[in-house]
Amino acid sequence: MKNLLRTIAATAVLAAMPLAASAEEMVFASWGGAYQDAIRKAWIEPFTAATGVEVIEDTEPEVARIRGMVDTGNVEWDVVTGGNATLSDGMAHGLFEKITPEMVNQEGVIREARSDYGVPSEIFSTVIGYSTEAFPNGGPKTFADFWDVEKFPGKRAMPDKPSTVLEAALLADGVAPADVYKTLDTEEGMKRALDKISALKPSISIWWNSGAQPVQAIGSGEVVMALGWNGRFQAGVDEGLPLAMSWDQSIAQVGYFMIVKGAPNKDAAVKFLNFIIDAKNQAEFSKYVAYGPVTEAALPLIDDERKARLPSTTERLANTLFLDIPWWGKNAVSAGEAYTMMMQQ
Amino acid sequence: MSAKAGIAPQWQRRELLPVALASPLLLFLLAFFIWPVVQLLGLSFGESGFTLENYTRLAQVPLYRRVFANTFFISATTTVLCIFFSYPVAYLLATVSDRTRKILFVMVLLPFWTSALVRTAAWIVILQRNGILNSFLTSSGIIEQPLPFVYNLSGVLIGMTHVLMPFVVLPLYAAFRNIDNSLILAASGLGANNRALASRIVLPLTASGVIAGGTIVFMNALGYYITPALMGGPGQTMVSMLIAQNINTNLNWGIAAALSVVLLVLTLGIFVAFQRAFGMDRLFSAGGGRGASQSFGGAGGRSFGGWVAALCGVLVLLVMIAPIVIVFPMSLSSSPFLKFPPDSYSIRWFQNLLSDPKWIKSIWNSAKAASIAVPLSVVLGTAAALGVSRTRQRFRVWLDTLFVMPMVVPIILLAVGLYYVLAPFKVLGNPYTLGLAQSVLGAPYVFLTVRAALKGFDPSLELAALNLGASWLTMFRRVLLPAIAPGIIAGSIFAFIQSFDDVVLALFLTNVRSRTLPRAMYEGLAHEIDPTINAASALIILLTIVVLLINLLLSRRTTNA
Repeated sequence: MKNLLRTIAATAVLAAMPLAASAEEMVFASWGGAYQDAIRKAWIEPFTAATGVEVIEDTEPEVARIRGMVDTGNVEWDVVTGGNATLSDGMAHGLFEKITPEMVNQEGVIREARSDYGVPSEIFSTVIGYSTEAFPNGGPKTFADFWDVEKFPGKRAMPDKPSTVLEAALLADGVAPADVYKTLDTEEGMKRALDKISALKPSISIWWNSGAQPVQAIGSGEVVMALGWNGRFQAGVDEGLPLAMSWDQSIAQVGYFMIVKGAPNKDAAVKFLNFIIDAKNQAEFSKYVAYGPVTEAALPLIDDERKARLPSTTERLANTLFLDIPWWGKNAVSAGEAYTMMMQQ
Repeated sequence: MSAKAGIAPQWQRRELLPVALASPLLLFLLAFFIWPVVQLLGLSFGESGFTLENYTRLAQVPLYRRVFANTFFISATTTVLCIFFSYPVAYLLATVSDRTRKILFVMVLLPFWTSALVRTAAWIVILQRNGILNSFLTSSGIIEQPLPFVYNLSGVLIGMTHVLMPFVVLPLYAAFRNIDNSLILAASGLGANNRALASRIVLPLTASGVIAGGTIVFMNALGYYITPALMGGPGQTMVSMLIAQNINTNLNWGIAAALSVVLLVLTLGIFVAFQRAFGMDRLFSAGGGRGASQSFGGAGGRSFGGWVAALCGVLVLLVMIAPIVIVFPMSLSSSPFLKFPPDSYSIRWFQNLLSDPKWIKSIWNSAKAASIAVPLSVVLGTAAALGVSRTRQRFRVWLDTLFVMPMVVPIILLAVGLYYVLAPFKVLGNPYTLGLAQSVLGAPYVFLTVRAALKGFDPSLELAALNLGASWLTMFRRVLLPAIAPGIIAGSIFAFIQSFDDVVLALFLTNVRSRTLPRAMYEGLAHEIDPTINAASALIILLTIVVLLINLLLSRRTTNA
């Protein structure tokens, strides 16, 4: 038995070993699943083909691990991916290399998505997903509809973290998109958002903590609608689950690729970031997952059928609110505490 | 033999030998547990310069008090439930034939051998609004509307009780086996009815097993976070979840460290209170291999009350096994979403599992880690238990406390602390290092179970053997080892499971090349619900059943292990 296992394992290890890389290499870490599969097919494989740089993939680039690597001078990763929270926390602790215009030209990037410490890779949106079984004649369209339990009865699912939910609550309460963060900056405004969420609590049966949960919950009938990420909902739609999304109001976030401070293969990392920001390659990404390009120039290169699945078309960007990274960088701790307390009461 | 020569070995046994036996674990824990964790806890007083800011924040923000209250309430309730449901199971195990008992043991151990993540996912499928349980209850007309069983307090309690119950069942079973049947016969003969038997004999004699198991459960529960995170709602936020969140996502290590310090202080306070109330020795007085002249339930038929208890035991066992059983049909579902019963069947996930080197490699890495973790835990834990049982009372309390400490410290702290300690040595990212780290968690289990076994061991047997001319080694092999074997076996099972189910240490100490199976499964659950994990668990469970059955049915040994 042991020998058999050993043989199987040895064969597997051999099969899994990349061919000895005499060329340049770099290590890339992301969040696994369909997202990383898309990155591999759209960017990593073509990048290796074009430049000869071997990319070794890892997963789970938790900021805590990045901080451990940087603190102990033991950096294993060159490029990591993350959302707004990772970017702002990492910036506060000096975990990422500054990316100058000489290194990567970000001129074509949508303005709201730019950052000095990361290159935006895609745009994803928090939207309303709803059950087409519960609402066969059209479901909730706006955040105000999401809060309207008379018109749209049934249980809801919400993220268990405050980012995007505070914003959605204020938008539902009639605050203009331009004033959302100004309102949240005041104590009354913060209370107004939390009270709005509190008022909906009797109808919230799930506070989700992983992106697959809201899809699972709508698919199983646990809830009739949820705030969630468009790419996850799209995966459910593609699998034939009875769900649909509303694009009438959304909150956009940007995914970033960062270079870890002290990355061992910084040159290759810079090459890679230049590769993914290129309009043609940006357009390629949406073939594999329903996340949109971050450069205007990429949109004309995408056919209409695919465009219909993406958050970053011109008209959708018009009625979306971009998550404010500096605001969350400043207020994440206190907002998180207040939100967790609100959920408990 | 001159008087002088007679004194020396005795002096050695009294003073030097215990120290020599206990010191390996002591040094091991100092290097790989105390040092890394203390370094991290220091962060609670500020990362640069001394400040109490983090503590004042804990005191001022009401959230933190609330979460501490939640944690204690959930842990205490889980402990009570574990004890309550373990009684019928332990009674059943103690009163059936050897052959049946072996099969029942497989049922007890199986949930234990299955990844906690997989069991949690399976429970969700059973308990959710349109889940198996609600469908059954509504279609049979028992309830009108589906009940919310999961994502709330009941979900957390069901999940945690299921995970932690074996910790009570095993010592309680050992205590049942130790009840001398002649006591029962004598009491019955003197006219005691069932109730009197239960309250005057069974409960007092099994109390030690309950206290030992209950304490292990309570301490484990305090630091739990994967099950409450997946099966609870925000009202069930536990301290460890906040600690993990502050370390992992907020990078707010000062608050995380302060929370940990408070959790540790409170836990140790409870631990000390427990010691004062019951005496530390009660914790270790469960089980043991002392064969009673006639074991409990070994003779005579069951009374009516006995039948009821046995039936309850069967029901509890069925509930324990349910989440394991549904993994099989789920692994054959063609949908990428967890749904039961599946709409259509396919073997696509098994194909994925067996064609993807990632999975095969991760199984191999898990085996490598366990190959270090189990032997190291057994050697360190057994030696320490032998040593501590011979030291003076005063030191014993201290050592006992120290050696069970790794059970109460949130694992995430150990993971981050170890990362900082091990990184400069460039030994991270291989499964053997992970195995070393997992021994920090495994050794205390072995220590506890062997300490418990030693409680039932009479040291004069040892002296008798030595006086009759046996060498120390022969004595160990023929007298001591058989007595503590059940403890070693139980402890090594715990150590193995600890190693084979560990996600948190693996996340920090392995990389993509040394990724273990639980880590691969966690990645499959956390970011995408990847049904390959169901295929993986189905295969693991099958393998486990085969191994356990072969082991149990062919074993010619008749120890009470």
